[in-house]
Order: sequence, then structure tokens, then C-alpha cells
Amino acid sequence: MAACSSNTGAPAADTDNAQAQEQAEELVIADQQIAASLDPVEPLTTSYLVSVGAAETLFKVNADGEVDAALAASARELDPNRWEITLREEARFWSGKAIDADAVIASLERSRELDLQAQPFLDGLRLEKSDDYTIHVHTERSHVPVPLNLSYYQTAIHNAEAEHDAVESMDLTGMYQVIEFVPKQKMVLAAYEDYWGTKPTIERILHEEISDEQTRMLSVLSGRSHIALKVPVTSLAQFQDSDTAEVVASQAANTQTIYFNLARPQLADERVRQALSWAIDREELIILAAEGQSVPVTTWLGSNPAYAEASDSVYPSFSNETAEQLLDEAGWQLADDGIRYKDGLPLSVRLMTWGGDKALGEALQSQWSRVGINAEVRHGDYSLIQTARETGDWDASIEAWSTFGDPYTLLSGQYAPGSSANYGGYDDAQTNEWLAQLAESADPAEQREWALKINERVAQQAPVISLFPRPQLTAVSTKLQGFEQHFRQFENIVKANMRWEAE
Amino acid sequence: MIVAVLLRKLMEALLTLICATVILFMLIRLAPGDPAVLLLGQPSEVAAMHTEVYEQKAAELREQWGLDQPMAIQYVSWLGRLVQLDLGTSLHTGRAVSAELAERLPATLQLTAAALAVQLLLGFWLGIVSALKAGTFSDQLIRLACVTLASTPAFVTGLCALLLFAVTLGAYEISSEASWSRLWLPALTMGLASMPQFARMVRANMLAELGQTYVLAALSRGLARRRVIGQASRNALLPLVTVTALSAATFASGAVVIESLFAWPGIGKYALDSILRKDYPVIQGYAFVMVTLVILIHLCVDVLYAYIDPRLQRKRRQVTRGVNEHA
Amino acid sequence: MHSTRRSVSLIAGTVLLGLLAVLIAGAHWISPYDPVQQHAAERLEKPSAQHPFGTDRFGRDLLARTLHGGQITLLSAMAALSGALAIGLAVGLAAGMFHNSLLDRLFMRMIDVLLAFPFMVLAMVVAALFGTSLFHLLLAVIAVGWVTFARLARSVVLQARNETSFAAARVLGASNRTLILRELAPKALSPVLILATFELGSLILSIAALSFLGLGAQPPTPEWGSMLADGREYVLQSPHIMFGPALFIMLSVLAFNLIGEGLRDRLDPYEKPQL
Repeated sequence: MAACSSNTGAPAADTDNAQAQEQAEELVIADQQIAASLDPVEPLTTSYLVSVGAAETLFKVNADGEVDAALAASARELDPNRWEITLREEARFWSGKAIDADAVIASLERSRELDLQAQPFLDGLRLEKSDDYTIHVHTERSHVPVPLNLSYYQTAIHNAEAEHDAVESMDLTGMYQVIEFVPKQKMVLAAYEDYWGTKPTIERILHEEISDEQTRMLSVLSGRSHIALKVPVTSLAQFQDSDTAEVVASQAANTQTIYFNLARPQLADERVRQALSWAIDREELIILAAEGQSVPVTTWLGSNPAYAEASDSVYPSFSNETAEQLLDEAGWQLADDGIRYKDGLPLSVRLMTWGGDKALGEALQSQWSRVGINAEVRHGDYSLIQTARETGDWDASIEAWSTFGDPYTLLSGQYAPGSSANYGGYDDAQTNEWLAQLAESADPAEQREWALKINERVAQQAPVISLFPRPQLTAVSTKLQGFEQHFRQFENIVKANMRWEAE
Repeated sequence: MIVAVLLRKLMEALLTLICATVILFMLIRLAPGDPAVLLLGQPSEVAAMHTEVYEQKAAELREQWGLDQPMAIQYVSWLGRLVQLDLGTSLHTGRAVSAELAERLPATLQLTAAALAVQLLLGFWLGIVSALKAGTFSDQLIRLACVTLASTPAFVTGLCALLLFAVTLGAYEISSEASWSRLWLPALTMGLASMPQFARMVRANMLAELGQTYVLAALSRGLARRRVIGQASRNALLPLVTVTALSAATFASGAVVIESLFAWPGIGKYALDSILRKDYPVIQGYAFVMVTLVILIHLCVDVLYAYIDPRLQRKRRQVTRGVNEHA
Repeated sequence: MHSTRRSVSLIAGTVLLGLLAVLIAGAHWISPYDPVQQHAAERLEKPSAQHPFGTDRFGRDLLARTLHGGQITLLSAMAALSGALAIGLAVGLAAGMFHNSLLDRLFMRMIDVLLAFPFMVLAMVVAALFGTSLFHLLLAVIAVGWVTFARLARSVVLQARNETSFAAARVLGASNRTLILRELAPKALSPVLILATFELGSLILSIAALSFLGLGAQPPTPEWGSMLADGREYVLQSPHIMFGPALFIMLSVLAFNLIGEGLRDRLDPYEKPQL
């Protein structure tokens, strides 16, 4: 620190240059949170390790949505229930240990056992060593996209025999090695010399935690940080005239959705839910709540580029008339106070929001009031929503789940009875049947058809209402070249070919 | 005599400590939100089909953490470990709470001390000036400035300061370190936020003191104005020692907004994050440390006051007598 | 000369408060806009002839929202203050009256415990336990706010007990109840009231601070504190959003401060803040 404060005169030119050199070489990334621990099976750890290039998965999804080989050399499907994965013989852990079949299987089994978040991706997969650098994966279902499953950060490969409780004892495979770690504050990484792939140009990375979103944004504007993640949409105007940094808005594959509690009397009627969807002007919502940084999506899968045609189906336009008609049909009559009543009870919906969704809730409240729905917005901590769900005392809440991935896993996680995202208790015989068909389907084209059918039916029955993908904004310094936009930006920040702009 | 007073106060302090921890313990556990579920079940990106595994794991965690036992037993076991100076382990990171608090406390103390210095310097200066010029334009101007400052939320001052000094001027570095070079801006912001209240108290005390007969008497006998005011200031400001000590205590526990805004790795922000995650051992440990700190400060101030005050009374009588005899 | 100077504060404060009250009560007539209705096309407009305070992110007129919001903020602040005052006065009188008894010791313990609590922690716990409505926010504020009044009342009582009038009344056989009501309460009332006027300002600000945690008026109800919280995201690019509520908060705090000082100059020999 003493060195930094010696900016007062004396050997100015030389140290200034040297300092500038040194400072320019360290890439500073400001994030809302950094890794909570060093052990990949601990919560809130792996995604950060993967994003800064410290941990790697066997496969990786590129910006176009295709699955490429990463730590693994290749993969091929042997038969509908078996895949063969070939590993790289030259790849090594930081400790020098070989990344062979035994090590990979040990790592994945450890993740399976200790990391609950890895469950959706390893469930139903049995790993078997074929020879030193080949693994056979046996799947319960047919045609499971194994490389896709093994591209999620929860399956990052780590040395299962290492301790992972300190910087010295942790053992991963990535192009950057952790050299310093202060929990909840910062992580320093240096390029790993014996990396199997393209060695990174930038030598050092500082990944620090600046949890206030506006401060984070200011740190890039000031030139101190070079990348700031999760920049708030409301700060876009700050970057308009800036020479230091610009904002990269990558289209994300997730859908902000309103989940309804179907046990509620007023929400049990399908027509009411459909009316609620017709009454939403998604374009206006995007302007009010997301500063225009998104595109409307009327069905859940619509935000996944592979299902783009579903993005405006079922509810192709906003229509208050249709909504009012449906509500009249359902028996909810408009009274003088502007609210609809049925059997003396008002049509009210308590919408619970958390995080940054308060404005979204308020905008929805206003739009629904135009067709006579009395919406209340309850903004608070996520734990309040969880508690409300447990007791059943809730009407609606807003969440965004990822829509990229294996269609069966995604859709069943949302709409199968008892799944963790099926908050409202949706249980439709037809949908369940189609999900089963999807599970058994062999042909990717056929899978896609089933997915679209299920997606459409759910949108029609409206146990949930899809709104738009949550914007993901990253502020990047103009000095930095090679930053790549990715629809899963949170795990794709650091790339080997990132470099500083030539002076 | 002093020893007896000290002992009694110590007993009372201990009692307060126990009461506070019991209440906090209960309140935290009564609040909704299951730490096991929060730790495991943050909305990940892909929903799982088999929630039974999650529930089972959550139950296991709860058992591991001892959360399935009755509250009284939990409290007693916590107390037992506390006596051995073991504050437990964080549910979130698995590290010792005492270690995590110890890492962060110095940064908050640093910030608190600096902010307090700002508050005292500015508060004394403005308070005394406005008292001496009571009723004049300067007084009203200072009052207006104070009210405006007091009505401005801390984040406005903070964000504008950051924009000005970090972005426009490049004179301040935004990072996650608690370094001395980064201390001045958050300390200034925090000090400015609490200064108005303090300045008002200084002014009130000074005015009250200046209205005392001995001051008028001294002045009418031709004593140097500066000297009289100096003495009056000293008398007026002693009660403010208590106020200062108390505000120091609240500073330390309440610097959350400033710490978040300036990414200052202190204890306030840490506590806030832990509350949101229902990290019970951390919240209890933090509350315990803070409550102990506050009680200690109160104790010291009480004892100090009891000790100093009679002396002060005597001294004042001496001064007034001296002043009167001088003529 | 002295007395006119003292009266100026009181008069100025009362006039300012009256002006604010008139503006706030007349919200409907002063601003024709609906404080709740959203107009996406007019969002984030800077102050102009049509919208003197500009518009917020939903296109709502900010002057209308500020004036309507004042009703809620000031009323709830007064409600919280009254609650804290009543409880504090009662506790302080009782504790001071029965000095060094178990009751006194118990109350002092409670006061110490509450003072030791980090306020934000308490507020968040209340929010999580009971809910985030305005009522709950007031509860949280009262739960911590009565303490200052209790301490002041108690110290006033302790001093008053040493006076001859009190001793005389006691000798003449007055009951405890009479002593409290006739001798002590009147003496404690004025300093406590004066403190109240000063506390009101910080109360309004505490309510604003808690709005950040989601406590307080729920959307779309306008309230100065939550308006400030909502304006936070735009503070660097559209700072005008916070102008309205900030100005009115400042004026309210100023008015109450002036009144408090005027009252003190007139009424109160007990000027030094006591422990």
C-alpha cells in the first residue's frame, strides 16, 4: 500500500511507467459476489471458479449454443444408452497429477455425493472406466445429451483426493491458478504455466467482491476495474458518453415468469389466469422495469434461441379486450370502484417479489388494475416467499429459471408434479403424458416437437405467465480486447485470448 | 467504595448481556427462513425433479447444525461454547465465526474511529460557532446546512462522492480493500451524516453554559472573552463525552450502508449478509460482540462519569471563585 | 430583544409547518395528477411546467406523489412518535419515581439492552417475523424509539424528587399516584415534548432508511421514504426523482426543529441533555 501512495513526485516517469505496466497487466473483475469457498462441491463456489478460468468442465457450451469439448478431448454416442468420453492425456491438475479416467470419475462421484446442485445433471448417469483415458457413461433414459449435462459448472472437475480448504491445498485444472483468497473480498489468480490448452495472454486476475451494483458500475467507469458484472439496467445512461467503458448486453436464455398458486380459488379458474396473461403489455413492462433491455416472450421456452418460434405464440399481442371478456365469462363483474367482484369477493392477487423485481411487480400491478384486478405487491426477502409457499399462503411470485439445456430436464423440472420449480401444484394429465413421451423420444427433431407441444399447452393453461428474459449487462473497459458475449455470461467471463489494447 | 460501585455495575452489565443474547437468540430463530433450505435451495438455474433428495439433505444439515433441538437446549449449548470463547462455525462458509469476525472488525473500527473524528471536529466547530453567534445569519446558515445534511440519505452523499472523486477526478480507488488510502471518503461521508445531530447538541450545551451566571460575571469583570469562552466550552462539552461514546457504539454496529456503498470489508456488511442467509452462529456471534462492546462502553462511561463528575463540580466552583476573586 | 429572538423560531417553525400541512392536505387541488397511475410514455421527465417535480420511472407526477406521500409519512411519523413518547414517558416516570427499586433496575436493564441492539438487525427481524407493512415498520421504530424518552423522563424525575415542592407534597401524605401525576409528570412533559420535536426529524429519516429493507408503505402507495429508496437506482442519471421527497423531509425536519427550539427557549430550564 505504501508503494501506491507514493504518487507524490520524486522518480516520477520511471515508476509511473512501471506502475502503469504492472497495473495494466492485472485484470480486475468486479462481481456482486465471489466464491464463498474453495471447494467445488460447496454452494456458491463453482460457478465463480469456472467464470474466472480456475475450474473446468469436461465440455463447454459456446456462444452459439453448441456443446464443444473442453477438458475432455471428445465424446461420441455408442448406443442410445451409452456414451464414450475420451480424455486428454496431456492435461494435468495444478498439482501435476494426471487427469485420467479414475480422477474424473472420482471427481464426478464426489460432486454427485456432496453437491446437491449437481443432481439434475448426474442423475441417472453411471460412470465406468473403460481404459486409462476413456470413460463410458451409461444412462437410464435413452438419448441423454451427456456432453450437455457435463457442461454445467456443477460438474467441474477437481482432484477428489485434495483438501480444497486453502489456496495451497486446492487442486483444479483451469488456465488460471488461485494464488490468494480472502473470502467475501477478493481472489487473485495467476496464469497456470502447464495448462493443456491455449495459455492466456493476461498474467494476473483480481476477482473482487463489490456487492453494491452502482459502486460496481462506477468502478469500471473510473477505470479501476476492467469488467463489472451484473450492472444495473438503470445505469445505462452513465455509459453513453464514456470513453473508459461500455456496456455489453448479452441476450440471456432464461425467462422471468409469474408462478401462480393454483390452490387459490380465484386462480383455480383457467380463464382468470389467461386473462391475467392477455392483460399484460410486455413491451411496456420491459420499458418500465428493464429500461427496454429485453424482448417479450409469451411462452416459457421462447427465450431459448432454439425455440424462437415459441416466443410470441399463444398470446401474440397484448389485449385488454380479450382479458375483460374472459373475466366476464368467468363471472367476475366490474363494479363501480374499478375492481371486479364475484359472489361479493374482490378479484385480488398478492404478488410477492424479491431482489430487483419490485419495479416489475409495481408495473404489473398497474397493468392488471386496468382490467379490474386488485393486485397487491409484497416485496421482501426471498425467505418470506419460501415460507409463504410452505404454508400455502401465497397467490403469485416471480422467478427466472434458465431455459437452456436438455428439454426433458427443463420441462419436467418446471411442470412435472412435485418438481422443485412447480410451486403452484400444476398437475395436468395431458402434459404428464407428453413429458413421458419426451423422455422416451429418440430423435432430437422429435424431442423438439414434443417440447414445443408441452410448452404451448402449458402456456394455454397458464399456471405460469412468461414475461421476458432477465437482462444481463456487463460493463467492459475499452482497454480490454477479446471479451466475448455469451448467453450464459455468468460462467463465461475470462477467455484465453483476452488482451490489452496495444498502446 | 469505588470497587463496590464497579462490582455492582459489572453484575448489571452481565445481566444485560444475558438478557440481550436470549432475546436475540429467540428472535432470530423465530424469524421465518430455514438456513438449510437457503444454503441448498437457492434458485439454481435448472429445477430438479426429485425434491425428496433436497428435503433429506436439508434435514441432515439441520441435524448437523443442531437446529432440530429445542431452543432452550440450543441456547445452553451455545452459551457453553461461548464461555470457552468458541463462537461456533458459520453455516455458510464453515469457518470459525470468531475468525471471520476478527478479520473484519479492525476494518470497521478503523472506519468508525475516522468517522467519529470527522463528526467530532466538524460538530464541535460548527456547534460552538453557531452558539457564539446565536441568532445571527451565520447561525441560521449553519442550521440550514445541518438540516439539509441530516435530511440527505447516506447513499446520495456516498454515490455522488464516488462519482465525483472516483470517476470524474480519479482521486479515489474503488476496490474491496480496507486500506488507509481508501479510508477518507467513507469516513467523511459517515461523519457528515452524523454530524448535524452532534452539532446541534454542542450548540445547545454551549448556549446553556454561556447563560450561566459565572460567565456573565466573569465577562463583566473584564476577563478576556476568549478565556471565559474556553472555560465555558470545556464545561459544556463534558456531558458530550457520553454522547460521543454512545454514538461510537452505534456507529460500529450500524455502518452497514456505508460499508456496502464503499465496498469496505467491515463487520456491518458481513452481518447484513448473514442475516439474509439466516446464518445463525454468525448473527449470534456478531450480536454478542456488538452488545458486549456497547455494554463495555456504557460501563466505562458510567464509571468515568461517577468518578469525574464530583471532581468537576469542585473544579467549577474553584474556577468561579477564582474568577470572582480575580477582580 | 431576547424574547423577540426566541419567538422568531417558534413563529417561523409553526408557519412553515402550517404551510407544509396546507400543501399536503390540499394535494388533490394543487396537483391534478393521479399519484398512482402509470404513463410509460412520460417516464423520467425532468422538472418542467407540466410536471414541476418531474416524473418517476413509471411516468407518475412527482409533485402529486410527494404531496400525497406526505400525508402518509407525516401521519405515520406522528403516530410512531406518540407511541414512543407515551411508552417512554410512562416508563421513565415509573422508573424515576421508584428509584433504585426492582422496577427501576429492570427498566434500566431493558433500556440498556435495547440500546445495545443494532437497530437494523432489529428492524429486519421484525420485518421477517411479522411482515413488511407500514404498521410493522412503526412497531419496529417504536420498539427502539421509546428509550430516549424514558431516559430523559427518568432523569428529570430524579432531579425533581430533590426539590422542596416534591418533599412537601410527600410529607403532606399525597399518594404515589398523585405525586406522579401532579408533581412529576408536568415537570417531565415539557422537556420530553421538546425532545420529541427533535426526534421527529430522525424518525422520518429512520422510516426512510427502513424502506430500503422493504419495510413500510407497499407499492403503489407514495411515501417519502420509499420514494427515496426507489430513486436510488437513478440517483446518478435522474437525480430529480428524489428532489421532491428530500425537499419536503428537509422542510419538515426544519419546521420541527424550529418549533422545538422556540419551545425550549420559552419553557425549559432543563436544557442540558441528560443521561
